[in-house]
Formats: sequence, C-alpha cells, structure tokens
Amino acid sequence: MRFPFRHLPAAGGGQLTPRPTVDVWLEGIDAVPLASLVDTGALRTRFSRDLATAAGIEPDDDLAEKFAVGGTLVTGAPARVLMRIGAGDASHAWEAPVWFCDPWPFGFQLLGLEGFLQHFRVTLSAYHEWIDCRPER
Amino acid sequence: MAARAVQISGQHFDLDTRRIVRAVSRALPEPVRDHYVVIEGRRYPPKQVIALATGLDRADFTTHQARRILRRLGFTAARRTAIPGPPSTPETRRSAADPVERLRPHIGAWIAVKDDDVLVSADSPAAVLAWLSQHDQMADSMFRVPENETAAGGAAPA
Repeated sequence: MRFPFRHLPAAGGGQLTPRPTVDVWLEGIDAVPLASLVDTGALRTRFSRDLATAAGIEPDDDLAEKFAVGGTLVTGAPARVLMRIGAGDASHAWEAPVWFCDPWPFGFQLLGLEGFLQHFRVTLSAYHEWIDCRPER
Repeated sequence: MAARAVQISGQHFDLDTRRIVRAVSRALPEPVRDHYVVIEGRRYPPKQVIALATGLDRADFTTHQARRILRRLGFTAARRTAIPGPPSTPETRRSAADPVERLRPHIGAWIAVKDDDVLVSADSPAAVLAWLSQHDQMADSMFRVPENETAAGGAAPA
C-alpha cells in the first residue's frame, strides 16, 4: 500500500517539509481515518487522548506514564486497539497497543516501532515522496 | 466597505462584510453541495451565511439571492461543479490550484479533508467528528494543520 507524502502550508508562507504520513482507521471512529506520521525513531505508537475519548476507548490509567514528546511533557496511558490502513483495493487490519497522550499539541498521530513498524515492512522514498507499507504477516 | 441595504423576503437589512464575518465566526460550515462563498478562508453554503446574518428561515430566500447579496458585499462565490474559469485574483487562482493553499486558512485547527477539500475545520477532533456525524459525511483524513516543523514532526521520545 503506497501513500504520498503530505504537503503542508507554513504559517509564514511557503510550505513545511513534506511528511511521510499514513491514514489510520481507529476502532470506534468510522467517519474518517487519522493522519499519522511514520516515525522510525519512536518506540511506541502515540495518539491524542481526545481520540480515545471520541472512540470510546478506555486507556489503562494504572499504567500511565509521563514522558516528553517533542519537548512537551505529556501523560500517556496504553490501550490495545484495532487499527486498519488501506490504499486502493488493499487494506490491512491489526491489533496493537497505542499510548493515548494528553496534551497532544501535534499535527499528526505518531506511528512507532511498537504498534506499527513491527507489523509492516516499510519502504520510503523522500525523493519521490511516497511511503510503502506491506504487512509482515 | 459600507453597509448595503438589502431586502429579503419583505424585510430590510443593512449588511456589511464585518457583520457577515461576525455572524459566521462561531458556526462550522455545513457541507457544500454546489454553491459556496469563501469567508475568512472557509467555504460556506450561501444560504447558511444569510440565515446566520439575518436570522431568517432558509425557506424565506433562494441560494441565488444569497449568492448575489454576498458577491455584492465582496465575497468570492463559486460552484464546486463549475468548470474552472479564470479566477478573479491571483490569490483565488493559487488557492483553487493548490491543495496546500486550501489548508493555509486552517493552520492550528483540526480539519477533515475529502478529495483535497476541507470539509470542516474546528478546535478539537471531537468537534470535527461531531460535525461529520451530524451531516452524515465520510472524509479521507483528519489531522491538525501544524503551525511549524515542530508541531508537524514526531520528535521521537524514548
């Protein structure tokens, strides 16, 4: 499944650097997938806590941790959720832990090793601005 | 721009751009079927705008009337199904051609996009999802348009 990089405007004019994002369907949210940044440097998959609330997902607050994301201190709690990506006629669903974080001042959700990269073989071309995700199993 | 006196459904109104902008400032745009006007970078159905600005029932006037009034006040009015013609300004020309420019008015907001059009723009993902549900709409993607590289990046934690 191939996804084009996402182009974004810069506040002062021009554009930000195009980003490798994948639209991920999250269980409980049927109307729209969530644009999510593929981040090989992130150990975990992290979404906004607001999305858990909207989807009716209850993260396990007994396992909540505080950590910094992009210089912002956030509190995250995990939940095992069903996700799906699709492009054209192809799609793939998988279940994995996602850490739902508050606050979440970022543009995208974050797809890391646990929760995403362990489930896909990912190839990307920043030159041609595409990312290819092939399910491992 | 000075206020324009308009008569709609037998009632008299003095409308100006400020009043229109104020009227829609707290309203999320409803789905655009065909005709729309652009206000502060957002596309609104013309009847929604005039109903908000005047308090009239939408059955009291036509889309054509609403468009005409808003065009005379200086707002860009267009149709989704129209064959692209020469836009009126360089800015609208750039905006029509470039999906990135369509995102620019929404920097900092949560949006849902479909076919490169911004369907809805709001302060929170919950508001975007509520709008999609309320209007029975599906979208291609939802995200918050980042203000800068930091907000767009992962800045991976351990």
